[in-house]
Amino acid sequence: MIPLSLVASVAVLGLVGIGLFGLLVTRHLIKVVVGLQVLVKGALVALVLAGRITGQVQVAQSMALTVIVADTIVSVVALALAVQVRRQFGTLDVRALSALRR
Amino acid sequence: MFDLLVVAAMLACAWMAVRGARLLIAALWLAGASALAALLLYRLGAPEVAVIELSVGAGLVTVLFVFAINISGEEPPGALTSPVPWPLAALAVAWPLALAATMVLPTVRPAAVLGPADRFATVLWEQRGLDTLLQVVLIVGGVLAVLGLLAARRPRPGKEPR
Amino acid sequence: MSTIGFLALLSIAVPWLGAAVVRLLGDGRPRAQHGTAVSFALAGAAVAVAMIPRATGVGVLDVPLGSAFGRLTLLPDGLGVFLAVVAEVIGSLAVVFSVDYMRGERQLGRYYAYVLFFIGAMVGLVLSSNLLLLFVFWEITALCSYALISFYNDDPKAVAAGIKALIVTQVGGIGLLAGALLLYAYQGSYDIPTFLATAGGLPPTVLAVMAFGFLVAAAAKSAQFPFQTWLPDAMEAPTPVSALIHAATMVNAGVYLLARFYPAFEGVPYWTLAVLSVGTVTALLAAVMAIVSTDLKRVLAYSTVSQLGYMVYAIGAGGLFASQFHLLSHAVFKALLFLSAGAVIHAVHTRDMREMGGLGARMPVARTVMVIGGLALAGIPILNGFWSKELVLEAGHAGGPAWAWAFMLVGAGLTALYTLRFLSMVFYGEPRGRLAAHDAGVAMQVALVPLALGTLTTWLLAGPFGAYLGPAAGAAHAAETTRRIVVQVATAPATALALAVVALGLAAWWRRASLSGVARALGGVGRAASNGFGFEAINRGIVRATVASAEALRTTQNGVLNWNVAAILAGLAAVLAVLALGVVRGV
Repeated sequence: MIPLSLVASVAVLGLVGIGLFGLLVTRHLIKVVVGLQVLVKGALVALVLAGRITGQVQVAQSMALTVIVADTIVSVVALALAVQVRRQFGTLDVRALSALRR
Repeated sequence: MFDLLVVAAMLACAWMAVRGARLLIAALWLAGASALAALLLYRLGAPEVAVIELSVGAGLVTVLFVFAINISGEEPPGALTSPVPWPLAALAVAWPLALAATMVLPTVRPAAVLGPADRFATVLWEQRGLDTLLQVVLIVGGVLAVLGLLAARRPRPGKEPR
Repeated sequence: MSTIGFLALLSIAVPWLGAAVVRLLGDGRPRAQHGTAVSFALAGAAVAVAMIPRATGVGVLDVPLGSAFGRLTLLPDGLGVFLAVVAEVIGSLAVVFSVDYMRGERQLGRYYAYVLFFIGAMVGLVLSSNLLLLFVFWEITALCSYALISFYNDDPKAVAAGIKALIVTQVGGIGLLAGALLLYAYQGSYDIPTFLATAGGLPPTVLAVMAFGFLVAAAAKSAQFPFQTWLPDAMEAPTPVSALIHAATMVNAGVYLLARFYPAFEGVPYWTLAVLSVGTVTALLAAVMAIVSTDLKRVLAYSTVSQLGYMVYAIGAGGLFASQFHLLSHAVFKALLFLSAGAVIHAVHTRDMREMGGLGARMPVARTVMVIGGLALAGIPILNGFWSKELVLEAGHAGGPAWAWAFMLVGAGLTALYTLRFLSMVFYGEPRGRLAAHDAGVAMQVALVPLALGTLTTWLLAGPFGAYLGPAAGAAHAAETTRRIVVQVATAPATALALAVVALGLAAWWRRASLSGVARALGGVGRAASNGFGFEAINRGIVRATVASAEALRTTQNGVLNWNVAAILAGLAAVLAVLALGVVRGV
């Protein structure tokens, strides 16, 4: 029997890895948001797992709630941005946004 | 064993969401991954967050994805590849993760012996009241940002959400 | 919540609320914007005045902000409330003055929003008893100062001056932040009263680093040697802003910092000597520069730097009461001088004094109040500047080395000289240019007259003021009455000497024709002075290095998300590798 904590740790590493990989291999704005979502799910599981191991599940839960709220807001704003980028530039390429570059 | 299956399915969903060629399908895979993550959170003893993750992560965010994809149109992600070649990307991710795995996994302990647990609501409203306040600020800011973004110039008639 | 806690919170919240309201009104309604700004500023001043009788040495309003920030505690003690009142009252007068001065300007919302935002932040700075929050407010005031110096952002000179002020004060901010973090590392909290009570328990090296870090912070903020050159450049700001931020309030933050932490750092070797020397050098250099400058606002700016030097000198000599009393006098008469200069500049549309002259007949009100302010600056009895400057000199005589005292006496003479010079160049003699002039408007007069009355009368508060500051002023002055202070100053032999030097300074201006040989001989000094004695190079170097490093860092922000993520991963890998190898295990 594999302990649940170990299984969850594997899940954290897997989600974070897939999320980061997703961020690395695409320039598509919506796919970037997808990668971000996957990455943050890994962080969520990690938080709750840490709370479970240290016996502070409720504190971990309230922090996880903050993470969910922040992440959802980020995704929503990013998606609205994607819509607007598509309207303005006709593409969803992230590079269309790099106005800081000279 | 059940947990192992859940995690395997979740990772598979996540992989399909990240690599899938069609945006709408990817959004659905993401919803699946989110639902399975919620299940895992429940199994880890965090039912409140699990419910929120299920409704917000699997529900609300998916709906928003579908909206956004509808409005902006299906632009196939295949053409927009990254300047980072994917073997390099895989290596870049795998190397720190493997390192982390070798360091973390042997030290993972089963759950601590729980004392009399605080109630979630008590922790949320009394001990971490500031966080809750900041969340409200965040939500308001997010709503303002979205409204501002969607209102900015050249709206297409009939294609606005709501 | 206690009344005073509520008032303290309100004194920050009211101006900030006003800033938001003015900004949200939009720039289409200038009358509404003027009215809103004035009413919020006056409300803030009323709240601040209501705090005066309720000052307490105990922290009020205890809000936990999580482990990283400690607790938000406000400490409305005598020193804090005094500076809060100065900020709010002079702030509200500057806002009233702006109604005339900024009439017809575009983007009033931005102007008033930053002014009100600044007032709230300045009050927060002096009331905060949490060092990290003090730093946050400190930086907010720097930000507002930058934004207002660069208010005319289509003028490259104004933009450059703003960036210079921002960067130079940031250098000081680093000193403050380092001190705050050290305090947290060794004390476990950011609480200032705890620190003042237990400073002796810290390792001497740590205390010394904090002390000199704070000195750097104070020097940068208060435009002291060697950072003094940002303040004259800051004169690109609208004149009410110069009066409020760059004469009466923000530049005093450095003096406040030194006075607040004096009890803790007093024992650090060479610290008081360093403070005193910084003050002396600044006071002298700036006075010489004020003599050669021909720009009315720059003269006033140099004079501000010089007077701030007097306050810093007094702190270095242990005369906390004298320094704070001079701060009060200076805030009043310098705000008066700047605002009346604003009235002149607004009337004639130039800052160059060589084009002015003979304006007195056409601007009687502006002339009268400016002469009052000028005489206070020069240290003529019985105006407030006389009493406080004598107290500073007396404190220096009692607690500082003789050479510094001699230099400060010379400085007093130079002050009288340049005061007479700019007054006569502006208001007296033959008109040198064909300048259309009109007297100060109604709103301007509403702001000017109370300040002029204050210049004539604030010295009467010397006794109650000392009692009010209480322990912050040092025990010696807590029990004095105004009468005792007046008698003491009036009968001290040093006062007669100082007055003689001042009279010499005045005479030097009357007899300038016959002194032209001396003036020629000193021409080199004058040229060096108008170039800022070369310290301009230090400040310019700081600014250039900062901008260059920012430009260099720009290449890392190439806008390609994928590479950024890859870099994050590489950093993660490096950290993990270090951890895995156990390099930092020993720490």
